[in-house]
Amino acid sequence: MRLLYALALRNARRNVRRSMLTATTIMLGVALLTCGMAWTRGAFGGILQKASNVMGPVRIVTPKFAQKEQLFPLAENMPEIEPILAIARATPGVVGAYPRIQMPVTITVGDDIGEHFALVQGAPNEWYDQALDLSHHIVEGRMFKDDTEAVVGMTAASDVGAKLGDELVLLGQTQDGSISPIKVKIAGISDLGSGAQNRFVYVSLGKMQWMADIEHGATEILVYGATLDDAQAIGEALKVNPGLKDLAIARWDERPPFSAIAGIIGALQSIAAGVIVFITALGVLNTMLMSVLERTAEIGVMRAMGLKRGATVALFVMEAMGIASIGGAVGAVVGGAIAYFVLEVHGVNLGNAVNKMPPGFAIDSVIHADWEPYMLVQSFALGLVMAIVGGALPAIRASRIQPVEAMRSRR
Amino acid sequence: MISSLKKLLASLLVLVIALAAGPAHAAYPSVADLLKKIDANMTYDTRESFITMRVTKADRVKEYKMHSYGRGQDEAAMEYLAPSRDEGTKMLKTATELWMWLPSVEKTQKISGHMLRQGMMGSDMSYEDMMDAAKWQSMYSGVVSAEETIDGRKCWKVDLTATATDVSYPKRTIWVDEAAYIPVKQQLFALSGTLLKTWTMTDIRTVGTRQFPFKMTVVDEVQTGSKTEIIFDKVTFAVPLEEEVFTTRWLER
Repeated sequence: MRLLYALALRNARRNVRRSMLTATTIMLGVALLTCGMAWTRGAFGGILQKASNVMGPVRIVTPKFAQKEQLFPLAENMPEIEPILAIARATPGVVGAYPRIQMPVTITVGDDIGEHFALVQGAPNEWYDQALDLSHHIVEGRMFKDDTEAVVGMTAASDVGAKLGDELVLLGQTQDGSISPIKVKIAGISDLGSGAQNRFVYVSLGKMQWMADIEHGATEILVYGATLDDAQAIGEALKVNPGLKDLAIARWDERPPFSAIAGIIGALQSIAAGVIVFITALGVLNTMLMSVLERTAEIGVMRAMGLKRGATVALFVMEAMGIASIGGAVGAVVGGAIAYFVLEVHGVNLGNAVNKMPPGFAIDSVIHADWEPYMLVQSFALGLVMAIVGGALPAIRASRIQPVEAMRSRR
Repeated sequence: MISSLKKLLASLLVLVIALAAGPAHAAYPSVADLLKKIDANMTYDTRESFITMRVTKADRVKEYKMHSYGRGQDEAAMEYLAPSRDEGTKMLKTATELWMWLPSVEKTQKISGHMLRQGMMGSDMSYEDMMDAAKWQSMYSGVVSAEETIDGRKCWKVDLTATATDVSYPKRTIWVDEAAYIPVKQQLFALSGTLLKTWTMTDIRTVGTRQFPFKMTVVDEVQTGSKTEIIFDKVTFAVPLEEEVFTTRWLER
């Protein structure tokens, strides 16, 4: 084994330029993988975290509301929410449970009769603070203080030419379908970083309950754990609670559009990693194959001296792994540095493309990577996989060389 | 010889059919005449009424009280008296427009386009249904297809097709009370033939020289479990009305 290791090391040092080429290929592949992993984790993690915060990691609604939620069916509400909130808050792992009502409205400022559409959302102030972090996203003015005020998303405000202090008239419906108008003073204008959320008008739960004529109720109850990972256990616990047997309980990833998207995200990440490994492995294969061809005669001599086929394979794989260790280590460090300092700290600005995303699928216009130290180890390990995949074929080819023919080739 | 016999038999058959069918059809009134008599009951020069509207959806019942004014075929005005959250809400229909005064925000809103055919205050009656007083004679033609009994009342069954293009319901089947000339039951269809609503009129009373139904019930046949009852608590026809009632000034008064 020591002999094989010494031989592999000698071979790697014999043609430094080629070994450097192989190491550079691996370095680039590993760096790309590190950046890719950090960025996709940041992008999808951000989307999922933000979306699950907005949609609620676990949500309680009536079954009919769940069936027709795209239509904002206010009539399918929970008329008495306190008992449901009590059950939710007593469930292990739950750190918060909040009622919410949303509906589409037309919004108007001044005497104009508006044809501008927006979505109005009513929830307790704690939800705005803890789930939406609304007060930290107010770019002008402040958070609303009472039922007479509202915070307006900057896109909605811009649509109607509204400014701080203006009176905004929202024309919606009660749960019975009657026209229901409210008037609120604009206390703040928010920028939640996504076009969809910037079309919302945020008001107090009490105001929204009056508007929808659901005095003690809400259409949704959003349940939060300490982390998004707690949603699984909380969802299961709520689903088996007899006090909620007539209600529809679903985790964020069980509801559209994430029920379909969550699986696709994982598959896309695997495919992207597979493509990088494959392309890098092709580079390794190329340089290792050259090494085998150059050393055909030498391999023949070693085979004639008793080097077994398995040992021949091991020799070339060890050589590839040795080079990959150096390239992979440098790649992981370089990739980690780029991922952290460039992609995570600065982020990538997607511009206005995110403004077309539907409500509930909120994406920040600047996507920040989320680099974690484990990615160093993961991408380095994948670098070794690239070396094994790329070095295996040349190694097998070398092991099949017949000593007599190899020595005759004099290469 | 045989040919002549066949011709004779055929002629006799035609005669028998004509004799059998003729008298029945002769007993059917003309549709134009029926529509004229219905219009005489249902349309007016002026009308003032107090109305209770009860909307039932699943297990929820919502009741509204309204004070309504009408003038001719084109003008109508309505003020909500209850429930308290809708008190003071006013609607005004002119020949071409429908306006709504929303007191809680002190704003006048024009109801236009598709909203006109949406349920008024969540009811099964659209804004057009509630405020429309146009004469059917000018909007529909049709045939009397049968004589049937509805709730103990002998009725003519009439299949109507719109002759005008701007009607809410291109097809109606109506059952007209033979004695009162009130359409005690109507089935309202979309152009596709889909049944949209069933509208019944009951509690028929004599008001002056006309018959008038004091209770109407509209059942939404598309959205099951939904029903709207309109009860006329008081109706006065040929009442003098202030000119201002049918202006936007009245809305904001």
